[in-house]
Amino acid sequence: MEFDAIVVGSGITGGWAAKELTEKGLRVLMLERGREIRHQQDYETETKAPWDLPFRGQGDTEMYRREHPVQMLNRHFTEWSENHFVNDRENPYSTAAGSDFNWFRSYQLGGRSLTWGRQCYRWSDYDFGANKRDGIGTDWPIRYADLAPWYDHVERFVGVSGAREGLAQLPDGEFQPAMQLNVVEQALRERIAERWPERCLTIGRTANLTEAKPEEGRAACQNRNICNRGCSFGAYFSTQSSTLPAAQKTGRLTLITDAAVEKIDYDPVSSRVTGVRWIDTRTKTRRSATARLVFLNAGAFNSVHLLLNSANEAMPRGLANSSGVLGTHIMDHANTLSAIAIMPGFENRTSFGNRPTGIVIPRFRNLDRLDGKGFTRGYSFQGGALQSAWTRGKREAGIGADFKARLRAPGMWRMVLVAFAESLPRASNRLTLSRTKVDANGIPQLEIAFSHGDQERAALADAKAEASAMLTAAGGQVIVALDQPGAGGTAIHEMGGARMGWDPRTSVLNRMSQAHDIANLFVTDGAQMSSSACQNPSLTYMALTARACDTAVSMLRDGVI
Amino acid sequence: MTDQAQGWNRRDFLGGAALLALALGVPTASVMLSPASADEAPSDRQMQVLARVADLVIPRTETPGAVDTGVPAFVALALAHGLSASRTALVAPDSALRPFLRADSSLRHLPWLEATLDRNAQGNFLAIAPAEQARILTALDAAAFPPGPPPQTPAPWATIKGLILTGYYTSEPGGAQELRYELVPGRFDPDIALAPGDRAWSSDWTAVEFG
Repeated sequence: MEFDAIVVGSGITGGWAAKELTEKGLRVLMLERGREIRHQQDYETETKAPWDLPFRGQGDTEMYRREHPVQMLNRHFTEWSENHFVNDRENPYSTAAGSDFNWFRSYQLGGRSLTWGRQCYRWSDYDFGANKRDGIGTDWPIRYADLAPWYDHVERFVGVSGAREGLAQLPDGEFQPAMQLNVVEQALRERIAERWPERCLTIGRTANLTEAKPEEGRAACQNRNICNRGCSFGAYFSTQSSTLPAAQKTGRLTLITDAAVEKIDYDPVSSRVTGVRWIDTRTKTRRSATARLVFLNAGAFNSVHLLLNSANEAMPRGLANSSGVLGTHIMDHANTLSAIAIMPGFENRTSFGNRPTGIVIPRFRNLDRLDGKGFTRGYSFQGGALQSAWTRGKREAGIGADFKARLRAPGMWRMVLVAFAESLPRASNRLTLSRTKVDANGIPQLEIAFSHGDQERAALADAKAEASAMLTAAGGQVIVALDQPGAGGTAIHEMGGARMGWDPRTSVLNRMSQAHDIANLFVTDGAQMSSSACQNPSLTYMALTARACDTAVSMLRDGVI
Repeated sequence: MTDQAQGWNRRDFLGGAALLALALGVPTASVMLSPASADEAPSDRQMQVLARVADLVIPRTETPGAVDTGVPAFVALALAHGLSASRTALVAPDSALRPFLRADSSLRHLPWLEATLDRNAQGNFLAIAPAEQARILTALDAAAFPPGPPPQTPAPWATIKGLILTGYYTSEPGGAQELRYELVPGRFDPDIALAPGDRAWSSDWTAVEFG
């Protein structure tokens, strides 16, 4: 089989690469290691009520401990969504001594685009300039101006709802109409702004449509907030709802699922990659295809895994690894529950519908002035106000008709603030191939070494103090306040390992997401990130992917690659 | 609303801890479960005790009660499969619990419940008057949810009661008659009046998850 381009992975960035490359006229093979899940046909639990499920939505704990001991630690993993997450027993990975890393994965057509949190935030020059400013990590070879038109491009297609706030640290985008703050969040926004004019509580910017996109076959969001079951309305952005149909419409896409890529082929004479090899996981047979271009979009850690496992005589430390930094400087936001507060005064107010996003309080530390104590980067809050439900009965004394009557009404409003602190790029946080353990296909397991550092802990300590200060000033009564990060992987924002940089001696990719060592190899998922910012990263991956596709096709047309 | 208007109470700490576990993915148990085995099957009498207790917690009112909605069978299934950390090994268990522990130090909840209620009834719990049953269960319930900071390890009764509530409010009558259920709201109203008697939504997934 011969193609113009091969895209490895069908998640958020793989879908984008397939769409952009096919729309520019290339014949593309997209390989997905997991099973096929068809839009609107295979979302098996989408409409099920709790009483339709044997374990009422909680799932079979005993089975989870056998088959999904890591995935079950993720709060998005439920009886409704369990089929959208990986089987840990069949897909093992290793952690280095002293490392605690929970790797939450979705191996299926669409990857984590089916299960993602849908938050879409632009990065700013505070972020692209961060490594240069404090000297930690390598300088990003791009700035906001390089990416702004590509943010525009992807937002228009994705459909991002959000409010324009004019913030330098969280640039506005091409937004659909914003979803609305509920009564408690609106009051909190006003009370925080009164006391801290530079702090802005705003509605989450989310890839859920507030206006239908009939040209893409997508309806507006129905406010169910059950997105990760799969959405037959196509109301949130996923590969299935959005990029895959666009790529297929060109007639130039070949999609193969159940195809676990094990190696990228490299020709040392031309210094080019020539194609990829994969295992058909149903028949256990090995197959291969050739192409003029290869895009890696397997997910940050799996793209690095593939590069490491594609070492050859010419590149014994791993493909495109002349620098030796491949696998290093991995990151995941340090994530904790900064505060929960009871919010009195709204007892006679409520809301209707399940809005599929929370709120965000963008970064306010270490902007133009370095005002963080013990940390030089940023953090931001996400969360929301909710009215407690029947589950509060699990921690209250009471039995009988009175108790039942009490649980019939909504409970007190609470405000929850969860912090995401920037994770610093450190050489010691890295991916390697296990020397002792292999997976079911005989490929060395990926080994993860990761720990959070003092800067992240200092940022979360400040986040705890500031969350409590804001909630208290707004009339709330703080009942929980925490500052210790969860294990690595908790934010499900793992990134880095094939970082971009100016210098081929200290980075894997150049400013176009192209391997310094191999001109026809592009890595456009989270692996390319040189720093982590404190925003959700997917939108930036998408913009970088679209930009890299444009570059790659131009280079192909110009005969450069 | 007056009890709510007083603001926070200590119970919310436990809610916070549960929320933290959710947010951070703290493992609820470090032991591997063996599959539910035949000798774990509850006896008929244990199921009768469970049924009685479930109806004492959620009785039939103008809407169905716990037994009407199949709660006992759900609780038995949930305990057999370790839901709500019910197969977690107990650290330094109270001596009263020792006769009911499995080899892995997790508690056999239903034999414990049966023996505890019989002991507190000074005889056959099922044979005493309903008012007396309610009095005994209220005492057990009060001890499981003491004033002050919540216990580090939930009392066995707290686990059983939690599963009774789950069984009830995730049944169709509990979720859609006692409470309200709407799979496709179709819109979001951010600020509307809450009238006395308005029922909560069992389909407010975030609220259910975060308590």
